[in-house]
Amino acid sequence: MATGSGEPKSRYLQYLEIITGSLEDKRRYRQYKARIKQLPENYRTAVEALERYLMHFGPADGAGAMAMYEDLADLFEQSVADGTPIRDIFGEDPVEFVEAFVANYPIGQYRARERNRFTSAVERAAGEDTARKDRTD
Amino acid sequence: MGKQMTEMLKGTLEGVVLAILSARPAYGYEITAWLRDQGFSDIAEGTIYALLVRVEQRGLVDVEKVPSEKGPPRKVYSLNAQGREYLEEFWRTWSFLAERLEQLRKGGN
Repeated sequence: MATGSGEPKSRYLQYLEIITGSLEDKRRYRQYKARIKQLPENYRTAVEALERYLMHFGPADGAGAMAMYEDLADLFEQSVADGTPIRDIFGEDPVEFVEAFVANYPIGQYRARERNRFTSAVERAAGEDTARKDRTD
Repeated sequence: MGKQMTEMLKGTLEGVVLAILSARPAYGYEITAWLRDQGFSDIAEGTIYALLVRVEQRGLVDVEKVPSEKGPPRKVYSLNAQGREYLEEFWRTWSFLAERLEQLRKGGN
């Protein structure tokens, strides 16, 4: 059963994934987890805290979320190799770093959509009839 | 690096990084190291990394993976034609802003 990302999926696999979710994504997520496990303990702890924080942004699945996890693993593996201290990766305000980071992925855009929906709802409630386009930033 | 500096830098960091890349290709760690050398001591490696991911997604830079002695392959970023255009626009905006602020400081508006 080929699961290479570029190949067309068999009909069987298409049906199966309706039930299981994307097997390719699951494989990528497992690979990410394995990479994180290899990090020195304090780096791993920091990444796991970051993962926990990411849950506040909404559901993180699909290829976009997997790209996010892989980029995260790249960053931390590279930082370990360079000897960059944890504080220098995260900066004084770790939240700021995470916000800038997630804005690049669907998980961050999910929240942007909710923000727009909220802004539009207030506009409607305030009687400002504006034909807003759906923006994502 | 003061709070005010951090706040002001936020809006210009993208242009700053593209300007660094216009001189020569670089990877994330080099960019952060250069900024720290220049006195921007509070810049987080992660923030620069997130910024590089963003400009890559927007097609302003080209990326080449180069094997490294230690750790995973490094992503080396270089400014492409679209990035150069964007950088020119950044400098125009910056000149406008700097001029107006200077006028404001001199008291004539």
